[in-house]
Amino acid sequence: MFHGACSLIFESMWARLFNVGVESAPDSIERFTDTDRIAFGCPQFNQKKSMQASAQIAFDDASFSAFLASRQEPEWLATQRRQAWQAFGELDWPNRSHEEWLRTDIRMFGLQRYGLDSSPPESVELPQPQLAAGIELGGATVSLDSSSVKSQCEARWQERGVLFGDLGKLVSAHPEKIQPHLMRRAFDVNYDRFAALHGAWWSGGTLLYVPRGVVVDEPFHAFSAITDGGVDLGHTLVILEEGAEATLLSETASLNPTAGGMHCGGVELVVGAGANLRYVNLQDWATGVWHFSHQKAVLGQDANLQWTIAAMGSRLAKVNQHVGMVGPGANCQVNGVMFAEGRQHLSYHTLQHHEVASCHSDFLYKTALQDRARTVWRGMIKVDPQAQRTDGYQRNDNLLLSTSARADSIPGLEIEADDVRCTHGSTTGKIDEELIFYAMCRGFSRREAVRMIVTGFFQKIFDRITIDSVRQALGLAIARKVREYD
Amino acid sequence: MSEFVKVCAVSEIPDPGKMTAEVDEAMVVLFHLDGQFYCLDDVCTHDGGPLGEGQLDGDQIACPRHGARFCVRSGEALTMPATQATTSHEVKVDDGQLFVKIKLT
Amino acid sequence: MSIDSRVEETPDQIGEINKYDFRTATEGVFRARKGLDADIVAQISEMKDEPGWMRDFRLKSLEVFNSKPMPRWGGGINIDFQDIYYYLKPTEQQGKTWDDVPEEIKETFDKLGIPQAEREFLSGVKAQFESEVVYGSLKDDLTEQGVVFLDTDTAVREHPDLLREHFGKIIPPDDNKFSALNSAVWSGGSFIYVPPGVKIEFPLQAYFRINAENMGQFERTLIIVDEGASVHYVEGCTAPMYSSESLHSAVVEVVVKKGARCRYTTIQNWANNIYNLVTKRAMAYQDATMEWVDGNLGSQLTMKYPAVYMMEPGARGEILSIAFSGKGQHQDAGAKLVHAAPNTTGQIISKSISKNGGRSSYRGLVKVEKGATNTKCNVVCDALILDEHSRSDTYPYIEIAEQDTSIGHEASVSRIGEEQLFYLTSRGLSEAEASTMIVNGFIEPLVKELPMEYAVEMNRLIQLQMEGSVG
Repeated sequence: MFHGACSLIFESMWARLFNVGVESAPDSIERFTDTDRIAFGCPQFNQKKSMQASAQIAFDDASFSAFLASRQEPEWLATQRRQAWQAFGELDWPNRSHEEWLRTDIRMFGLQRYGLDSSPPESVELPQPQLAAGIELGGATVSLDSSSVKSQCEARWQERGVLFGDLGKLVSAHPEKIQPHLMRRAFDVNYDRFAALHGAWWSGGTLLYVPRGVVVDEPFHAFSAITDGGVDLGHTLVILEEGAEATLLSETASLNPTAGGMHCGGVELVVGAGANLRYVNLQDWATGVWHFSHQKAVLGQDANLQWTIAAMGSRLAKVNQHVGMVGPGANCQVNGVMFAEGRQHLSYHTLQHHEVASCHSDFLYKTALQDRARTVWRGMIKVDPQAQRTDGYQRNDNLLLSTSARADSIPGLEIEADDVRCTHGSTTGKIDEELIFYAMCRGFSRREAVRMIVTGFFQKIFDRITIDSVRQALGLAIARKVREYD
Repeated sequence: MSEFVKVCAVSEIPDPGKMTAEVDEAMVVLFHLDGQFYCLDDVCTHDGGPLGEGQLDGDQIACPRHGARFCVRSGEALTMPATQATTSHEVKVDDGQLFVKIKLT
Repeated sequence: MSIDSRVEETPDQIGEINKYDFRTATEGVFRARKGLDADIVAQISEMKDEPGWMRDFRLKSLEVFNSKPMPRWGGGINIDFQDIYYYLKPTEQQGKTWDDVPEEIKETFDKLGIPQAEREFLSGVKAQFESEVVYGSLKDDLTEQGVVFLDTDTAVREHPDLLREHFGKIIPPDDNKFSALNSAVWSGGSFIYVPPGVKIEFPLQAYFRINAENMGQFERTLIIVDEGASVHYVEGCTAPMYSSESLHSAVVEVVVKKGARCRYTTIQNWANNIYNLVTKRAMAYQDATMEWVDGNLGSQLTMKYPAVYMMEPGARGEILSIAFSGKGQHQDAGAKLVHAAPNTTGQIISKSISKNGGRSSYRGLVKVEKGATNTKCNVVCDALILDEHSRSDTYPYIEIAEQDTSIGHEASVSRIGEEQLFYLTSRGLSEAEASTMIVNGFIEPLVKELPMEYAVEMNRLIQLQMEGSVG
């Protein structure tokens, strides 16, 4: 009886592994190592940048004035930056007396160690992007150390009024589209010192603007990379007007897997009434990178958002992910995949804010940890008094693969309306030894067995991801990471 | 395995006294007590409080957040609300300089 | 003597606490001046004729209290610490029979039904009025078996070694601002020692009554259940309504030794202008079981999170928490389980109801320390919101530093199901009756854990809360 049941579980797990795109027999998975990059064949992304030491601009008043002068941006934007820089001067760095930072120690982060790179990037081989394999893209951006290296949007979409490309350039060319949204409802420069720093200094980044009613059936791809010790301050702004539809795949990487650096970023997703956005964000910075990011979506009436966030990289990540439902009938699904290893510290704070009635939100975060990694997931469903008929869900599952990992899970509910259904769940545990034993009896190595079970752990999220290339990329990224433990 | 890393001159920490430092990507507290040096993780095992900001009382350090006490010499948790030792790191003095070897747990 | 029933002056409270809303005119024999400083603390110690170590403990705790900031989470606390009486001695001596108790105080407890319950259900009783325990009893056979059931002040004198071994060790003054406050000005409370192997069949009960306005009650309870022993301790709390807030800030420390068992049940029904800021913590050793059953119905703001630290293999912690928040109330209640040893298991069940603008918050912690292998813990929080003015929050903290563990947490917030209401009203029940019935079903898991007389009382209180707010 028992073995029969176990066998079923195991078979289905194996089938799931195939689903995520590993085509060969299990032993061939061994080929993947941490340094392998899977060739997805997007040669147009291979930009070059010179490796010689480049001039760095420190984050101080004098440099800020020079930075502003060099930007030649509209006055409203310069004003916005100045206000943010003022806020930066008035705020202290967050410390562990703040609830959000209680578990995330940034005393070893020193902003003075970093500066914005002023030299134009050339002749450096960029890592291969992971998300866009085999996909016909509607457009692509590439940036290195916060400078745009590529910005391209297919003519067929430009003709329909779509704007996609380097935000830094487009903001001057199309202020009427951008000014009403940039750092208005979906970004608060006063939230903390990192938000203020970003608000003042953001450079590079990606704009996606889709006019009313335009349905874009080809994904856009945004790729940001940094050099060792480099800085990325890219800002992402997505504006979908009423009834528009689009998909944006964005990912980050470093030039080598153990490099240092800093990312202090912002993401704004403005999804108009009845619009439909799929947004994927794969964070794969090197293990020396400090990653700070404020990310927020604002959903209008009957808008739909599917947001997949994959947290693989960085030395320390502190991310705020916020979905504000401001139009009745808005619907969002958030999928979080976290895999932490080594001495990584990944801290993700989500907020699903039901500001109006009849919205639906569904957040699922799954986390695997190995080595001495530590994760903090802190989620909140907030329901305002007028947000009746709310349906809110959040869940966080943690899988501990080593004895020295630590997972903190802090789901939360703040409900001020009564006609609601809000639920959360959290589980933490290890791999079932019986499953491993059973797999080993069937000739799999322990590592293969663990890999299959870990893949199975994430399966529920993979099932929710509708883009094949994304499912494949995440499946492979996870499979590559799993190590063997006795 | 990690190596001994030079942190400071022994003269920089009074006796008795303490100092926080960043060593090998870890925040630690160094103690100088009766001519001896000790080094603990700057982490209260109760809820992660900063031990280095606490009061040194004989060979005990009290977390400033909820008062949990730890033995400076061993890292052992001596009082509630802590139940677990905090990590103690190896220390050596060489030519007037203090070295610490971070123990990864 | 006069009983001053103020039902007519507090129409908002009708049906919620009126049974308890009466005052006893009593001056007491000694009242320290209002305010908090080292002189007052020293005076309390002096009045109690305490040993030097306790006086020092109090004074040091006062310093800790002054140095700690107010909590920045939980509920809004607006207390003028200088506008409170910290010590009020109601009578010269503790009664051994109810006849020894001053008439007006005795009448208070008569109205609360304590002597009757004592006769019918209980192994022993302590009754605290303001700062002191005014009555105490323990069945003779338990005394003969070595059971100690005293007020904590007497225990300082009569059992100094046992007390000192544990007092302030489970909850040190530095733990939080209010444990520091209690440590400085504590008075009364229960001290219980159950010798090895002694299993006490009927509950021991303490009843806490605040009668005076602007009064602070700071009882201090220490329970030591020795190896293989068991005890069930029950406490109830009430106070009349006054126009200004009073403060209740207790510290309860429990030690459950190898193979022992302790259940601690609280039915808190303070008046709706009392700040109830309490620290409760138990340490459970090898194969011991600690259960907290915590019912919060009264008070303006309660902040209370009973904890079990499972210190040795095989320990078990169970916490059952129920909160009912009506108009003007915020129940910030919860539970903490710390797995500090292998093979420990825990469970938290929380049920909360928010009605008539009330706010219920579950705040909890499950922590698995490194090395606490083969541990299991499950948490279930259900909240009902009965109208659009009310609020419910859930703030669980789950901290896992051990791989070999299995931890689950689930919470849901909803209103009473339309189908359930429709079903019941179509059978002839009014909507209010139907709601009450559904709420009773919702909290049944708690009520069935209560001793019989409390279960009856609990159901009655829920009904009053429901009527009071429907009405």
